[in-house]
Amino acid sequence: MIGFKRITLFVLILFLIMLNVNCQRRRSVTEDRETVAFVMKTLNNPFFIDMQRGAEKAADSLRVKLIVQAAEREVDVEKQLQIIENLIQRRVSAICVTPSGSRELIAGVVKANLAKIPVLIVDTRIDVETLTESGGHFATFIGSDNVDGGRIAAKYIVERLNGNGNVAVLEGIPGHETGDARLKGFWEAINENPRIRVVASQTANWERDQGYNVFQNMLQANPQIDALFACNDMMALGAMEAIAAAGKTGDILVVGFDAVSDARKAIERGQMAASVAQHPYEMGFVAVKKAVEIIREKKVPKEIPITIELITREKM
Amino acid sequence: MQLIERIPVYYRRQLGTLLGLLGLILIFWIMTPYFLTPSNLLNIARQTSINAIIAIGLTFVIIAGGIDLSVGSMLAFAGVVTAGALNLGIPILGSMIIGISVGFLCGAVNGVLIAWGHLPPFIATLGMMSIARGAALLFTGGRPISGFSVSFRFLAEGDFLSLPIPVYIMIGLYVVGHFVLTRTKIGRYAYAIGGNEEAAVLSGVPVKIYKLIIYGISGALSGIAAILLTARLNSAQPIAGIMYELDAIAAAVIGGTSLMGGEGLLIGTLIGALIMGVLRNGLNILGISSFIQQTIIGTVIILAVLIDMFLKRRKK
Amino acid sequence: MLNEYLLEMHHINKIYPGVVALDDVSFKLKAGMVHVLLGENGAGKSTLIKIISGATLKSQGLIILDNEEVDILNPREALDLGVATIYQELNLVPQLTVAENIYLGREPVTKSGLIDQKRMMQDVTEILNSLGANIPPESKVSSLGIARQQMVEIAKAISIQMKILILDEPTSALSHHEIEQLFSVIRKLKENGIGIIYISHRLEEIFEIGDCVTVLRDGKVMGNFPVESVKLSELIRLMADREVHDHFPKQEAKPGAEILQVEHISRKGILHDISFSLHKGEILGISGLMGSGRTELARVLFGVEKADTGTIFLNKKEVRIDSPREAIQNRIAYLSEDRKVQGLILKMSLENNISLPGIKGITVIGIIRKEAEHRLAGRYVNELHIKATGLDQLAESLSGGNQQKVVIAKWLVCQSDIFIFDEPTRGIDVAAKVEIYHLMNQLTARGAAIIMISSELPEIMGMSDRILVISYGRIAGEFLPKYCSQENLLECALGVDHAVN
Repeated sequence: MIGFKRITLFVLILFLIMLNVNCQRRRSVTEDRETVAFVMKTLNNPFFIDMQRGAEKAADSLRVKLIVQAAEREVDVEKQLQIIENLIQRRVSAICVTPSGSRELIAGVVKANLAKIPVLIVDTRIDVETLTESGGHFATFIGSDNVDGGRIAAKYIVERLNGNGNVAVLEGIPGHETGDARLKGFWEAINENPRIRVVASQTANWERDQGYNVFQNMLQANPQIDALFACNDMMALGAMEAIAAAGKTGDILVVGFDAVSDARKAIERGQMAASVAQHPYEMGFVAVKKAVEIIREKKVPKEIPITIELITREKM
Repeated sequence: MQLIERIPVYYRRQLGTLLGLLGLILIFWIMTPYFLTPSNLLNIARQTSINAIIAIGLTFVIIAGGIDLSVGSMLAFAGVVTAGALNLGIPILGSMIIGISVGFLCGAVNGVLIAWGHLPPFIATLGMMSIARGAALLFTGGRPISGFSVSFRFLAEGDFLSLPIPVYIMIGLYVVGHFVLTRTKIGRYAYAIGGNEEAAVLSGVPVKIYKLIIYGISGALSGIAAILLTARLNSAQPIAGIMYELDAIAAAVIGGTSLMGGEGLLIGTLIGALIMGVLRNGLNILGISSFIQQTIIGTVIILAVLIDMFLKRRKK
Repeated sequence: MLNEYLLEMHHINKIYPGVVALDDVSFKLKAGMVHVLLGENGAGKSTLIKIISGATLKSQGLIILDNEEVDILNPREALDLGVATIYQELNLVPQLTVAENIYLGREPVTKSGLIDQKRMMQDVTEILNSLGANIPPESKVSSLGIARQQMVEIAKAISIQMKILILDEPTSALSHHEIEQLFSVIRKLKENGIGIIYISHRLEEIFEIGDCVTVLRDGKVMGNFPVESVKLSELIRLMADREVHDHFPKQEAKPGAEILQVEHISRKGILHDISFSLHKGEILGISGLMGSGRTELARVLFGVEKADTGTIFLNKKEVRIDSPREAIQNRIAYLSEDRKVQGLILKMSLENNISLPGIKGITVIGIIRKEAEHRLAGRYVNELHIKATGLDQLAESLSGGNQQKVVIAKWLVCQSDIFIFDEPTRGIDVAAKVEIYHLMNQLTARGAAIIMISSELPEIMGMSDRILVISYGRIAGEFLPKYCSQENLLECALGVDHAVN
């Protein structure tokens, strides 16, 4: 019994010593460099990889340290929240985040506020009403107007179909502000054209293989589809493989969103008609740039729109 | 060594796991000053709590010779039902009871399929994984239910005597769980059924009923975890909990619960869950790329099981 | 000089810890002969066969195969030496075809490395024809009946060009007609010079197909005889006659009231119209050969399996026992044959094992009272002299005798009235056996009733008040130990016609 008690006591004392030493360490660690953290939804999507590259470029040229972290999957909101909490512990100077959940991350934003770490929201909006209710705030939103993007895509489809035809839609994760906004814009524009019928609209959760399966099923149920609007390129690319498998390449107009490089290649080759380009690289770059400005106590606008444009073969 | 002999046979394996945890803490303490701070440690505890709670149920199930792959989906379903109840105006306590009951019911269905239907646990819970997920999606139409009262969210975000409430809940459940496992009929029967089901039957153990109870417990604990997650994110998502079963199984296995059944202790599972929480937290703070994080965590799980098997072979 | 013997075994010993399985056994097999091994359960037949087929190693002795001294280290070597064994549990893969099974692991390949299906089929058809077996080589083994599956095994043995064929109880599952077919195949094999070792307890067969017979008892050879010149009674005497040791501490107990009555229990193919009664304070011995249905009877009484027909009366009242739980509630205890697999939970402590069936007695609203458990287990550890390092010692690390005592303690806790012991002293050293016999006396002295299933004739004779012999699922006879001999029991079990006492 004696040996046991002594050892436990020893471990506890050691622990307290370590804690103490750590405290001193932290006080003596000055911010050698400003550190900007960038929390993405996921790194499994070329869109966010482009964003990362833009962020890295900005961090390089401004000589600040950049930490990029992401959850394994876009669906994992809790992990993103945990990452933010851990970065707060790390005492980063600013946090840029592309929220996986427009409401679910509010807790994280509030915590960052309490730790006096500025928060920049990138690409996907956070629910401002609920945020203010919780007493939180953020420094700025950097992103595209997704509603507008959806509208542009719809208008393009209407034009190419001459105002008449069957359209299918692949949606993002329900409840994601990005996807919801794109759909909103899309539907607004489509509804102005009564002879365009949306025959199917389902979610493929932003993922490529789900895009394949869901669209394949849509084709089965609706043999006559003239155009497809996918809320992101990954789903569009998956759907295109389903189209090829059905031997209908060229018969169906495919419009994606994000204009990642695979999509651009497909557009060049004529397999895809168009994609709404978001300039993620620019988003990443501007986000880090503005983050540094905020750290250096300059004022930044509450919203920084990044241009959106439709990329088609002609434009390339 | 004399000290080792002082510890009852049952607990020796857990000592090894504990040393592993302490070793990890030591490593991270050395590598970064942001790790061993009181606020970060509390962070880890809060972040680990959800997985740790699910892992309690899974430990029971694995000790009884089974497995439960449906915990993540049961969590989602229980979560959205709780949210629905809250939104209907049902008081917090009532909604929680409803959520936990939904979890218990799903688990009980697993138990029936396995005990009376003679389905292998892997298959039955795999099926429930899909069914519960589908039920959650149906219940909400695919969208998350968000926005709850401050008092509800206090469950996850609040503190009591400067410790987060989820930590109290987690410790409380572990204490109760340990008691049930080691000092009640349920626990004794779980070890018997998992140790040698045939001998248990021949000793008059009502195997079928207790399998139902044990799987029900797993479901109920998923329900409790669901409540905490919903409060934390302020949102009940039908897509919540994906892959949570793996983290829970990993916690149990690292903690010394044998997948063959009949062996295991909750204290080990808690240490296992903490090891995973510490790993994720430490790697986040060090800014290590998410891809490497995944690899490291997987490696730790494999190492833990290898060491476990090695120790068992030496005993023979 | 060419030896006429295919196989010679000289002074073979096989010693397991605490048990001598074979004691100075010598045995010779001639080519083209059927040599029968005869003996009771536990006499050493299986051990001898295992040594020849490479499943286990001899402790001492010499094996000469085909004029060369050999050491058969594993089954693979046995096959290479031309020794093929066909066990009762056939060694075939049900989902594969006949041809695939026969050539399993030795498939002929074409030049390009693929399996040469044509050649396989050709070879197999040839072999099957030579046996006179009408089996299409492409049929799945699972679709064949036992008799034909056996043929496939024999064909497999032929295809490896065996010299020695060992058949272990080949006819236990065959019909009369199938047995005839098997025998004609065996005769063909004899003509080809193959030596056959044949294990069986069916005396009629021995006289029909055997050329010589060796009788084993307690690991020793009692005699070698040519079949034509030996008498049945002589064989039985050699198998059974032993000194009855005095170490059966049987106490004369006066059997009391009838506690159990079993009527017309039948289970298709296994039990036929079993009826008997059991009295308080009585030890009812149940004798019979392995596979005769004794364990199945026990399992029916304990609710593990259901009988097709029959009724059970406890204390003159009819009861239904549909599960072990109900049996336990009716104060019936069952100590199964295989205590490690069925009787104990090896990973749990001995204390937890002891308290398991009767756990309700020490539980209050679901919570186990640990002090009560300690006291209970401690009491029985003392009473039964269970040797352990502590109450928390894991069951798997106890010796066989102590494990059995733990199993007994379990049932003592439940205060059972009827104990069914299935091979209670198997695998236990002598000292522990005596303790268990004393225990049985204590139980009967307290008024419990014991059904003791045993394959050890001396044990049955030494401890029972009455003996039932079960043969082929039927009660073949009832005996009083005072008025019968071991040979009587054995004859009865073998199904030899004799007057019932």
